[in-house]
Amino acid sequence: MGDRTWHTPLQAIAHRVGTYRVKFLAPPNTKLWPLTSRILINHQNTVQLNINGQSRTSTADPSMPLLWVLRDELQLTGTKFGCGIAACGACTVHVDGQPVRSCVTSVSSVAQQAIKTIESLGTAEKPHPLQAAWIAEQVPQCGYCQSGMLMAAAALLDKTPQPSDAEIDAAMTNLCRCGTYQRVRKAIHRAAAVMKKGGAA
Amino acid sequence: MKRRTWLLSALGATGALVVGWGVMPARSRLGSPELMLKTQGDVALNGWIKIAADGAVVLAMPRSEMGQGVHTALAMLVAEELDVPLSRVRLEQAGADSIYGNVAMLVASLPFHPLDSEGENKPTQIKMGEWLVGKVARELGLNATGGSSSIADLWEPLRMAAATARASLVQAAATTWKVPASDITVTAGVMKHASGQSAHYGQMVAAASGSTPSGIQTKSRENWKLIGQPAPRTDIPAKVTGQATFGLDVRLPGMLFAAVQMCPMLGGSAASMDTKDALALKGVSKVVPLNAWGGGTAGLAVVGQTTWHARQGVQAVKVQWQAPATGALDTQRIQADLLKALNEDSGFTFHEQGVPTQAEKAATTRIDALYQAPYLAHVTMEPMNCTAQVKDGKVEIWVSTQVPQMARDMAAKVAKVDKEQVTVHVTQLGGGFGRRLDVDFVGQAVQVAMACEDQPVQLSWSREEDMKHDFYRPMHLAKFQASLDEKGEVTSLRIKSAGDAITPRWMARAAPHLSGPIDMPDKTTSEGLFDLPYGFASQHMSHVATQSGVPVGFWRSVGHSHNAFFSESFIDELAAATKQDPLAFRLKLLKDAPRYAAVLQLVADKAGWGTPLPAGRARGIALHKSFGSIVAQVAEVSLANGQIRVHRVVCAIDCGTVVNPGTVAQQMESSVVYALSAALFGKIDIVGSVVQQSNFSDAPMLTLSQTPVVETIIVPSTRHPAGVGEPAVPPLAPAVGNALFALTGKRQRALPLGV
Repeated sequence: MGDRTWHTPLQAIAHRVGTYRVKFLAPPNTKLWPLTSRILINHQNTVQLNINGQSRTSTADPSMPLLWVLRDELQLTGTKFGCGIAACGACTVHVDGQPVRSCVTSVSSVAQQAIKTIESLGTAEKPHPLQAAWIAEQVPQCGYCQSGMLMAAAALLDKTPQPSDAEIDAAMTNLCRCGTYQRVRKAIHRAAAVMKKGGAA
Repeated sequence: MKRRTWLLSALGATGALVVGWGVMPARSRLGSPELMLKTQGDVALNGWIKIAADGAVVLAMPRSEMGQGVHTALAMLVAEELDVPLSRVRLEQAGADSIYGNVAMLVASLPFHPLDSEGENKPTQIKMGEWLVGKVARELGLNATGGSSSIADLWEPLRMAAATARASLVQAAATTWKVPASDITVTAGVMKHASGQSAHYGQMVAAASGSTPSGIQTKSRENWKLIGQPAPRTDIPAKVTGQATFGLDVRLPGMLFAAVQMCPMLGGSAASMDTKDALALKGVSKVVPLNAWGGGTAGLAVVGQTTWHARQGVQAVKVQWQAPATGALDTQRIQADLLKALNEDSGFTFHEQGVPTQAEKAATTRIDALYQAPYLAHVTMEPMNCTAQVKDGKVEIWVSTQVPQMARDMAAKVAKVDKEQVTVHVTQLGGGFGRRLDVDFVGQAVQVAMACEDQPVQLSWSREEDMKHDFYRPMHLAKFQASLDEKGEVTSLRIKSAGDAITPRWMARAAPHLSGPIDMPDKTTSEGLFDLPYGFASQHMSHVATQSGVPVGFWRSVGHSHNAFFSESFIDELAAATKQDPLAFRLKLLKDAPRYAAVLQLVADKAGWGTPLPAGRARGIALHKSFGSIVAQVAEVSLANGQIRVHRVVCAIDCGTVVNPGTVAQQMESSVVYALSAALFGKIDIVGSVVQQSNFSDAPMLTLSQTPVVETIIVPSTRHPAGVGEPAVPPLAPAVGNALFALTGKRQRALPLGV
């Protein structure tokens, strides 16, 4: 470790006080480091996370599921709790582009990877083609499961841009108690068609 | 045809209560401007409508959005009458005044036979019953979102409130401009006169304030621009970006998180608990023993810095649980008890016509069948939760609830403060289905908040707690006996069912001050059995109300949900026994019920009833009326490796005047999926008072790949709007069961279906 070069003194200190699987994503001297001071005060283990393209520091226990770090620590409440056993998919996020059920994914296991949540899929002004298709097909009812549905669908289209019904069946195992499934299928097809043409839904 | 339905024995007592109350005209729900929140720049014109400085319309919204699209549909009513685009209507949570109470829901709880209670020529006792209960409901002012009643209830009051506001604004412009009001036109919230004068609502609201024009008429239907046209739901954009705030998404400065564990035995409690290990965990700050609030079960809550910490804490508490003193609950034993009750108790007669005993004596053939349905959980995707803060003698709660006033009352009771000291924020509901008509979890949250010295606490349930501590749809058994004459005509139908009554149990825990010393006959036990449209000359329907001790509640479509399975399956049995086509058999019996026959014929036509299907597929049909709407469905079913597969469901609904056809179609699809989950998988087993199901691993729900194509047909109608959120649930199970019979020859008499 002696030959390693640290970008900033804070990074060096953070490492020494026991930062857990630190991933340095932020360039030196950026505003992304204000939380590092907590490390100095608390002498706690921290996890450096790459969430939605931003570096975020979590003081969570390494075994804490990513879901609760997102929701209760980082206030990213778009990702939902539904079952806690990876059965319903309400908590689906992307980890390095793969759909992952964050309720059973320990935060330590994703410290080195790019995490993407519903908050960065698109915005009201610049929706992802799937979000635009979701609006066009009027998919959501109560809406609680829809973040997970959309993240699962986005991961599907990344891998399979023109999915068949059978491929949608296989990929979309998320549960919805309002029964929006038929519109989910339609909206995925709609978004796929739009993305093929290279436009917005 | 002479019918003798149950005349409200309670009516006399209820009537005594309302003597002396003045007649409350329908327009009494306009309300005064003081009822609305005072917000900078907005001026209220009545209890429902405020106008913002920029001319936007603010609507007081008493109903909860739980997926049924009611926030959009109710806003449409107001936008229509005020001539503004839907996007110009903002919602503000309504307060607790009685004008926001749900009158239609309570009136619909009267057990009148639909062939008597609909149409113009209602018998006097029905008119009187509806009038009395309507008055009582207005006085109670119970704000509840349930019973598929939001549009039916607010159809007149909201349009009237908006039309009255519009008239005030136009009159203000007329006075200011010194022109006749009748010469002013309104387009997109802008008033104009031929002289060139023009102003938006915001510019005239100060002048309009305080005026209450009378003799206002709402628009006639040929002038509607919004009502009846599909409108994109206003809540959807926030639901696709993760920005919608559900109960669990409330975040407050300094907020703590609490997890719960109730005694696994329903109605049990903690004899002792060792909290040492839990409190030693990092991030765990407190263990709070929980009382049994609102009919729930006692237990404990652990407070931590996140939900996860709190749940770790729950795992670490060592508890000695204690069984309920009332004895163990077992679904097998309850089932045996219900069967015994069916055979031994006479029950309460909800309906009788003709002389069934005579027809039975004269019968040449009798067809008997026993049907049964299990306990069921609601399983909303968002588990139960409530956020509470108790500070300076005031309580603030944030909760996804169908009953904000009951949540308030529960908070006040637990915190021992006046109701006026409680503020309720209703969030988006991650599903309701009737579960959120109970407020047990609100009591828990306030109890925990009281132990957390001024800090806000979000209390949430795990999926397992949610599954094991629901208010379940009660198990029901029903015995059917049909008598046939020598020509094979059905001369008499006798139905007797048994199971727990829901309303008295709910009243006892939710509104004990209204709960009587004895159980009144409860329509939820008999709906879908006593009110059949079929013209059997003799009929008798009775119900034996039991008290199993299992916490029971309102499950989407309530009694209809199992009773339609019983009755529509048995009708199919009669068709099969008399070698008649199920559609033709029903149509023959619907001669006096043309509205039902029309819906049935429509669905049959659209589904291609009688046309060939691929090998290994069969169709089943069912018809049912609930919440004022008639729904008929045809299901196409096959079997693959012993698994039931439903390919297509055609669904026709007559729900009166439609406000937003888009949400009607959504609700038909939703109901089919919800009902199909229950029909294929749904059951709750209880052994030794412990619910055996715990999570989606052992209580599966329908997935996308198992979902049929649902086609919706809406019957054009000019009737008063009726329910939409529930009426398509009841016919699904019998349609699928009848298709299975057509496919296999084996009659499905129990839920969940099995082959």
